Amino acid sequence: MSSGYSLITHTADVGLEAWGPSLSDAFAQAARGMFDIITDSSKIAPAVKREFSLAAENPEELLVDFLNRLLFYNGAEFLVFGRFDIDVDADGRSLQASVWGEEYDRSRHGYGAEIKAVTYHLLNVCKPLNGKNAKVSVLFDV
Amino acid sequence: MWNGPLEKIDDYRFRIPRSYRGESGSLKMRADGIIYADETMLEQLKNDNAPEQVANVTTLPGLVGNSLAMPDIHWGYGFPIGGVAATDAEEGVISPGGVGFDINCGVRLLRTNLHASDLTPARIKEIIDAMFVNVPSGLGSKGRVRLEWNGLEEVLRRGAAWAVESGYGRKEDLACTEENGCMESAEPSKVSADAKKRGAPQLGSLGAGNHFLELQTVDEIMDPRAAKIFGVDEPGQIMVMIHTGSRGCGHQICTDHLKIFERAVDKYGIKLPDRQLACAPVDSKEAQDYFSAMACGVNFAFANRQMITHWVRESFEEVFRRPAGDMGLDVVYDVCHNIAKLEEHVFEGNKRKVYVHRKGATRAFGPDRSEVPARYRDVGQPVIIPGDMGTCSYLLKGTEKAMAESWGSTCHGAGRTMSRHEAMRRWSGDSVVSDLRKKGIYVHAADIKVAAEESPNAYKDVNSVVNITHGAGISMKVARMKPLGVVKG
Repeated sequence: MSSGYSLITHTADVGLEAWGPSLSDAFAQAARGMFDIITDSSKIAPAVKREFSLAAENPEELLVDFLNRLLFYNGAEFLVFGRFDIDVDADGRSLQASVWGEEYDRSRHGYGAEIKAVTYHLLNVCKPLNGKNAKVSVLFDV
Repeated sequence: MWNGPLEKIDDYRFRIPRSYRGESGSLKMRADGIIYADETMLEQLKNDNAPEQVANVTTLPGLVGNSLAMPDIHWGYGFPIGGVAATDAEEGVISPGGVGFDINCGVRLLRTNLHASDLTPARIKEIIDAMFVNVPSGLGSKGRVRLEWNGLEEVLRRGAAWAVESGYGRKEDLACTEENGCMESAEPSKVSADAKKRGAPQLGSLGAGNHFLELQTVDEIMDPRAAKIFGVDEPGQIMVMIHTGSRGCGHQICTDHLKIFERAVDKYGIKLPDRQLACAPVDSKEAQDYFSAMACGVNFAFANRQMITHWVRESFEEVFRRPAGDMGLDVVYDVCHNIAKLEEHVFEGNKRKVYVHRKGATRAFGPDRSEVPARYRDVGQPVIIPGDMGTCSYLLKGTEKAMAESWGSTCHGAGRTMSRHEAMRRWSGDSVVSDLRKKGIYVHAADIKVAAEESPNAYKDVNSVVNITHGAGISMKVARMKPLGVVKG
């Protein structure tokens, strides 16, 4: 089974669908997709590491909190991330994350969009079932 | 494509009747939805689901009057962009979704004593390039001032007044800013450390996307008396427009409180057709905490536009080697277009206090309201409507009609009709910039991709938006400005 993401484009905004064998993989793909919207995540060196744990009432909220946490580092510390080691618990209500990146540099990383927030629209988290991939979708306010 | 009912009231007003049961078939509208539009605009706005959102807003507990939508309406999260809703000050609700993520995104207009005939294309380029250098803009733009996050309290509490006292701008700028540049209900202790940490490094920056600085010339004056009172003297006069908001600070405040409101909906047993309409009773802790925090976001944005004003003036000083005061660069007005406010209105013959939510809508108070600066009180408040970077922008005035039927509100701009992605697929940034150059408009963008995303062709025509609000009488044309140069983040 493969992992990946694809963009959803909308009149004023942009979102993504991400998938992988486990929720952990799908969450990591969603994060990668988000930083590809902001910049080009493949050009980000793993110079700085951030670690955090989160707990939420349900998997959807966990996904929103997770991506918002990364946006917070982006806004407060100008960090962009390109490597994600995410461990989502089986019930999809808590996670431990280690993420690697560096300070954003326009000339090296390229220019994308400024994401204001993660919204609750089109928000969906499907756990892997009967051999099918885990899949998440989310829309950003840009 | 939205297929619900739209009844024509007159040439500029259409109604979604409260008998409509929504796409689900189970919607219970408590009032009508009223959309300001004309026949042409109506076809456009059925293309997304914004009318359904107008209908959904009528389910808010304690809604007073109808759910309103301005002609630049488009689909938003929960509430449509271009939506106006008033809720009772005692029995109503407050909803962060009715304000949006970019709290107090707004527009400020400066007038000058300069004339287009004073500016060669080389001069225009110099001014724009100087503003580009002096005002941090673009993705990940950092403010020039580095406040520690725990030093942000005064900004959040006092808004533009903090900026003026810190050396950014003139005392008289404050009187020409909505709320005098400060919402007094601000309470910084209701703002999370995250929002302060995200806001502090971004204070004094333009940001990216549709935010801009524009050098404009007055193209036509439609209402000479009001124009004169607003400081607009003649065609050819040079103006400067600033469009930005509360940056990461406001985004984080909204994010933090949306999460709290998700719970509040269950706690107070509120039934909603869309979770993004999440709201809480006005007297609840959730609602009051949000309102105090939102006011901090509002003040952050006022301070931000005030600092940028100062750097715009410095840019002119650098280029012309004259004091800014000699060139005018006075604030005409500064309006918010993402905000909720406690206001008093006359509704069905009685005075009524309501929380007016304006999401992508501008206050357009008519004459004699105490909130309008004394010098404008005879004609109504100035309303500033930015267009896309290739067309034009408008200065309007608020009206009695707006007071009577739209909670003193009107439109806020052009509104996108095409995704950024689609715009980038269709046009190259270089071709957009060179097409604008041929029209005499110089663009300095933080990145060429932004020029493509912000192509004029990706926006509704601001002329038709303003024709509708003018025709409906909820704000009247005073002057039209054409762009000469643009800084795009």
